[in-house]
Formats: sequence, C-alpha cells, structure tokens
Amino acid sequence: MDAELIAMQLFSGVALGAILIMVALGLSIIFGMLGVVNFAHGALFMVGAYAGLWVASLTGSFWWGLLIAPLAIGAFGMAIEFLLIRPLYKRSVDDPLLLTFGLGYVLVEAVRIVFGSDGIPFETPALLSGVADLGIGFFPVYRLFVVGVVAAVLVLLWLFLEKTKYGLIVRAGARDPLIMRVLGVDIGRVWLMVFGLGIGLTALGGVLAAPMRNVSPEMGALVLAEAFVVTVIGGMGSLIGAVVAGLLVGVAVSMTALFAPEMATIVMFALMALVLLVRPQGLFGRAVAGH
Amino acid sequence: MTSQSSPLPVMAAAAARPAGLVATLTAWRVPLTILALCLLPWVLPSKALAVNVLIYGLIAVGYNLLFGYTGLLSFGHAAFFGAGAYATGIAIGQFGLPWFVAVALGVVFGGALAVVIGLLSIRTRGIYFSMVTLALSQLVYYAALQASSWTGGENGLRGFTVAKISLFGVAVDFLNPVAKYYVLMIFAALALWLVSRILNSPFGAAIEAIRENETRARACGYDVERTKLLSFTLSGLICALAGTMSALHLAIVPLDTLHYHTSGMIVMMTLLGGAGSFFGPFVGALAFLLMEDVISLWTSHWQIVVGSVFILFVLFLPKGIWGTALSWRAGR
Amino acid sequence: MNAPLLAVENVGRRFGGFVALEGVTASFEPNKVTAIIGPNGAGKSTFFNVLSGVLPPSTGSIRFKGQDLTGTPQHRFVHLGIARSYQITNIFPDLSVHENVRVAAQAFRARYDIWTDRSRLPELDDKADAALAAVGLSQQRGATAKFLAHGQQRALEIAIALVAEPELLLLDEPTAGMGPEETKDMVALIEKLAADRTILLVEHKMKMILGLSDRILVLHHGRLIADGTPQHIQADSEVRRVYLGQNDGYA
Repeated sequence: MDAELIAMQLFSGVALGAILIMVALGLSIIFGMLGVVNFAHGALFMVGAYAGLWVASLTGSFWWGLLIAPLAIGAFGMAIEFLLIRPLYKRSVDDPLLLTFGLGYVLVEAVRIVFGSDGIPFETPALLSGVADLGIGFFPVYRLFVVGVVAAVLVLLWLFLEKTKYGLIVRAGARDPLIMRVLGVDIGRVWLMVFGLGIGLTALGGVLAAPMRNVSPEMGALVLAEAFVVTVIGGMGSLIGAVVAGLLVGVAVSMTALFAPEMATIVMFALMALVLLVRPQGLFGRAVAGH
Repeated sequence: MTSQSSPLPVMAAAAARPAGLVATLTAWRVPLTILALCLLPWVLPSKALAVNVLIYGLIAVGYNLLFGYTGLLSFGHAAFFGAGAYATGIAIGQFGLPWFVAVALGVVFGGALAVVIGLLSIRTRGIYFSMVTLALSQLVYYAALQASSWTGGENGLRGFTVAKISLFGVAVDFLNPVAKYYVLMIFAALALWLVSRILNSPFGAAIEAIRENETRARACGYDVERTKLLSFTLSGLICALAGTMSALHLAIVPLDTLHYHTSGMIVMMTLLGGAGSFFGPFVGALAFLLMEDVISLWTSHWQIVVGSVFILFVLFLPKGIWGTALSWRAGR
Repeated sequence: MNAPLLAVENVGRRFGGFVALEGVTASFEPNKVTAIIGPNGAGKSTFFNVLSGVLPPSTGSIRFKGQDLTGTPQHRFVHLGIARSYQITNIFPDLSVHENVRVAAQAFRARYDIWTDRSRLPELDDKADAALAAVGLSQQRGATAKFLAHGQQRALEIAIALVAEPELLLLDEPTAGMGPEETKDMVALIEKLAADRTILLVEHKMKMILGLSDRILVLHHGRLIADGTPQHIQADSEVRRVYLGQNDGYA
C-alpha cells in the first residue's frame, strides 16, 4: 500500500467528515438550544440536495443552487419550528421527536411525488471537476472545494457565536434558558433563528454532497444515522464535539474502505458503541448535570 | 388532616378508576382480543391484510411494553423483529431444523440481541436513547447487508418455505391462508396472555412507576437501569416472536425488515392506536394497515397521507385512537 | 450514650470548580430530630443529596450503622434504611394514592416478578394502608395523586418514604409552600414519627424548627458553622451574623 493512496483516502475521509460536520452541527445546535432531537434532519439534508439541484437546473449555475438552497430550506425550517414544533414545547421531550419523524416520512414521499423515485445524477460544475496536484498527490478539486467551504462556514459560525451579540445570546441560552428570560430576550425569536440556522446547515451539507453522492429520496436515511453516530461520539450539544467526531468518523470510514471495504459502513457504529461503553456522555459531552 | 371539608371527595370520585365498561374491558382484555383476532380474517377485505394486522399488532404490543408502559422511546425495534425473522429463516433454510426449533431459536436470538442493544443504550440518558437505539439497529441492518452469504444481502433471505407443519399431532396445510392465520394466531394469543400477566405483575407496577417518575422510583429502591433492561428485553422477545411469525408467513425476509423505517412504522402504529393501553397497539396496527390498503388503491404515495395523519395525531391526539376513547369515557 | 446511627466524616462535594459542601463532620444518634438550616445556597440540599445517595461525595465518607456507604448506588440506600422526601413534591402523579405507596412497598420484594398477579399480594396492600393511616390519608386512598391538595401530596410523599420502614428519614423542607394550618398538621405528623425514628430535616421556618428539633446544624457556604441544641444555636453569634438581614422568620 503506497503512501500516496493512503494520503488520498485520508483526504477523502476529511471531505466525507466535512459533510457530516454540517449535518451534525445543525442537529447539535438545535438540540443544545431547543432540546429537540430533529428526526427530520436527514430528510431535510435530502431536500436541500434536491433544492440545490432544482435551482441549479433553473438558473444553469451550480453557484446559485449552493447559495439559494440553504437559505430557502433554512426559511422552510423556520416555518416548521413556528407551525409544528412550537406547540409541543410544553409537552414531553418525545413529542417533537415523534413529530419530526413523521415530517421526515412526509418529506421523503413529497420529494418522490415531485422528482420521482429514481436517483438523479448531479454534475460536478466544470470549474471544480478534475484533480489538482498538491505536490503530495492528486486530489479531486471538488472535494478540496467542499473542505474549503465547510472550513469557511465553521470560521463564520465561530465568529458569529463568539463575536456577535446574537452569538452571545445563543451560547448563554444553550447553557441556561432561564438566563434569556432574565435578560429580557424574546426567546421565541431566538428559537426560530436557531432552528433555521440548524436546518440551513444541513441543507448546505446536502447541496455540497450532491455531486459526490447520487441524489435520491432515500439519501437522507443513512445521513440521519450517521449524524446520530457523530453526535453521540462528539457529545450532544457540543459544537467542538460535532467537528472532531465528524472528522473522526469520516476518516475512520474511508480508511476502513481502503483496508476492509465490507466493514466501511459498520465501523462508525462500532466506534459509537465503543464510546458508549467508555464515555456514555460522548467525547466532549458534559457529564451528568447535578444540582 | 382527619376531617376533610375540602372539595377533595368530589375530585376523588371523579378521578377514581372508571368503573363499568372500561373495567370489564380490562378484566377480559385477553379473551376479547383473541375473539377479535378470530373474527379478523372474515371482516377485513383480504386474508393477507389480516395476517399483517396480526403480526404488526403483536410487534406493537411488544413495543408498547417499552414505549407505552416504561416510557422509553426506542427507534431500534426493527432489529429484534428482523433478528427473529432471519434466525428462523436461516435455521430452516440452511440447517434444515424443524419449524418449532426455528421459532424458538428466532425468539432466543432476538432476545439476546435485545440484551446487548439494551445494555448499550440504557447507559445513555434521556433523549440519547432514541438516537442510540436507531444507530445500533442500523448497525444490525448494515451487518446483515454485508453478511450476504448468510442473509442473502440486498435480495433478502429466501428458500425456506414451510408448506406443512404438524401441530400437536395434527398436520396443518401452511399454504392455506386461513389455516396459516389461525396457527400464527395461537402464538400471538400466547404472547398477549404473557404481556397481560406482565402488566398485572409487580414488575408491571415497577415499570409504570419508572415511566411516571424515574427519580422517585429510584428513591423508592428500584434499580432503574436493571428494570429498564428487563423491560427492553421482554419487549425485544415479543418483537422477535413476531419476526419468526413473519418469516413463516412470507417465506422470505426482506432486508428492509431491519431498516429503521420499520422501527418508525412500529412507533407510528403504537402511537396511532394509543401508547400505554392494552388494545391500543392492535387498533393502531389495524388503522395503519387499513389506511395503507385503502389509500394505495388510488395512489402509490400512501406514505404522505399516513405521515400527515401521524403528525396530526402527535399534535392533537397524542393519546391515540384507543387512549382518546378511554379518556372520553373516564371524563364523563 | 447510644452508638451513632449515621456518621458523616469530612464530607465535601464539588461541581466542577464550585465547592458546594466542604469538610462536614457530624454524627447522629437514633431517635432524635435534627434540623439543618442555613441561608439559600448554603449546601443544605447538596448535603441531603449526598446523605441519600443521589450524589456521591467528592471527599470524605458516610457510615450508616457502622457500614461505609461509599460507592453504594442510590437505589440501595432505601434498602439499607435511609428514605427521603424531596423539596419539590415528588410523587407518582397519575397513580392513585394507594398505588403510590404500594409500588414503594413492593420495591422490597417482587421487584422483578413478572408472573404473580398483583392482587395476590395482599400484604403489600396492608403495608400501604398502614402507611397511609400513619399520615392521615386513609380516606383519600382511591384518589389520583395529582388531584390531592398540596399539603396532602406532601403527606403522601412521607407515606411513600415511611412504607420502607426507614431508620433514618430525611425530610427536605416538608412544609414548603404550606399555609399555617397545613404546617401545623405536618409538625404534628413529624412529632408522631419522631417517637421511634431518626429524622433529619431541612427547613426555613425557624419557629417550627426551634419547637421540633433536638439539635440544629447550621451550614453556610458549604461549611458547618454551628452544631448544638436550639438554645445554643439561638445564642450563637456567628449564626446571628449569617442570618442578619435575611429574616426568614428568624426571631
């Protein structure tokens, strides 16, 4: 096995991890703030990919798809929060979970009605196709682009959370929702924004993943399970955890694909089982909150 | 605190156990369910639908033990259902074992898997549980996909048709749908009787206490984790039995049996019928499968209707069909 | 002098960098009522949670009847003879009053029995009825717990603890949220229970504590600052200083 192949596979793991980070980050932000586990997250990833495809075919430009789809799906996410999830906050934590599961079911079928049940190939934009020689080997340009976009989004998100007033509110609220009431913040608007942000991130993940995977109504099912694995490994509600675990899972999957391809999908679940045994709260999760 | 002049006695009377019809239904719940199951093939549009209601009703009953009575929302029960089905099919098709041994193996295998997944997932707290059960059941799904020499992979497991079985010395033609239905119904009836006993037992009281107030149950001296694990395992055993029934019925195990969509379907049926009530799961399975049956007559996209109905139930009727009917009577 | 029922040795508890309890040492003799007081945030609830196994202590040890409780899981505490009530009413809201107590009685036998019919265990019914009679809730046995008046729910919680036949009963603000009438009933109940039981209670109502307790411990910033008879505590200058300016009916 030569070093170049390993480097390439390692890089492809980073690209896969980058997509997982987008999905798991959205899941984690929504959970940390709203206490809702969004079971429609995979379906919204898929809807994001279709939206990107549709906008790209309408405008003839991948770039418009990449820009508009996450914004539109994020707005759609806000509507979901406002219309469907908001009435459930005072009920058991299971209720929003059940509702979003039903929503995922509906979204998959709705996409089948509109776009058909068969998968649609998504052309890699000409500018980003081909490979680039980085000195240590040849890497697909598109995957480099994906990693770049995700890195940029992470930096922007970090700046937003650390340097802006809204970011401060979100961080404080995730730690203790009571603080928000004390500070007189309109908690409903923050929830709306956070839910929209989380859904926008997964939709962006969907558009970015589209040229790397076959776009099909079922593509969200695997992604949901992957996002859960990443979230459990990283620690629910921890943003750093989502990033580290996303990369870890991506690299683990693609390295296994190199040495034992039949184990590639299984390895991440095994990794999760291991983390559960050793550290049930996840690598970056806070231990049992005690008062 | 001795003489009470507060409005409490009135409240107490209203809140006391609803007597009459509901109490009778509870006392006779097993015979009544079996009676209804006996009539099912003759009132439903097809025998195939009746068998499906029987099998999915039983899964939902097993699932309800965990979700409705213990309060744990698992999204991984497809794993136990599928494990029971695969183990039965492999025992018959590849080892040539008699059908009743295969059924026993299927139940034991599904139960053992429930112990393992239960041990891992019950360590986690609260909302993690649903995610972890889903992820671990997907692990089982992908493992079955890869182990295709055993499971048939994507094509599903085939080649283990049971044409005739002998039951207490009587040979039954298993290709006759009516005969098959009633044989499978015997298994379902036994399982229902078991579940009813569990619910009436001290353990049944313990799991309800944990659902009601886990902190208090722990302070009362219950080992909450062990109790949950036992409930999880019992629930898995019943789903595994339903899986063996499904294998005998279809003579094929589709890979999708293990997918979390199947788990989701079980959750939806249980909630539609009424989680935490004895008749609810069967009512839910019946409602779900009838909806599927009727709607697929004019569109192949029945899932969008069923999903929307489910969303409406979560929003407006979280007690489900049977649970809502019960609270109407109790509220009068 | 009797051997202590409970001995707490240098017990401390931290949450991350925050020290909630530090260096508490005290021992408790049988059949006495001890009150634990202190301003809000003094560590009273943490102390109770450590004593009832909800939180393991970060430092120190607890011995109950000579047995070291370090590492004992919470659900074992009640089996050993330590039962508690909570500051915020903690019952099974949708079960009947009788079922609330019966399910608690059942924890000592038949926990994993999935076969016997519940109605075949009449001794559990009797135990539950006895505990309900002890707290004066016999008439409400069929009512659903959540429909009880506040004071009755507090009494029900004590019945749930009593049915375990504990030697040590921990009561966390048993009169919280009660009016004067309900408080009077509760005090009478605690006095009755104290006849043959060791009781520790956290309370804010000073008049009640002074009349009820044999001994008072005062916590402040997680430390034990005074320990003695009610008379002794009333005269203690440090206690007076701590309570100055926040008059929880302390007079």
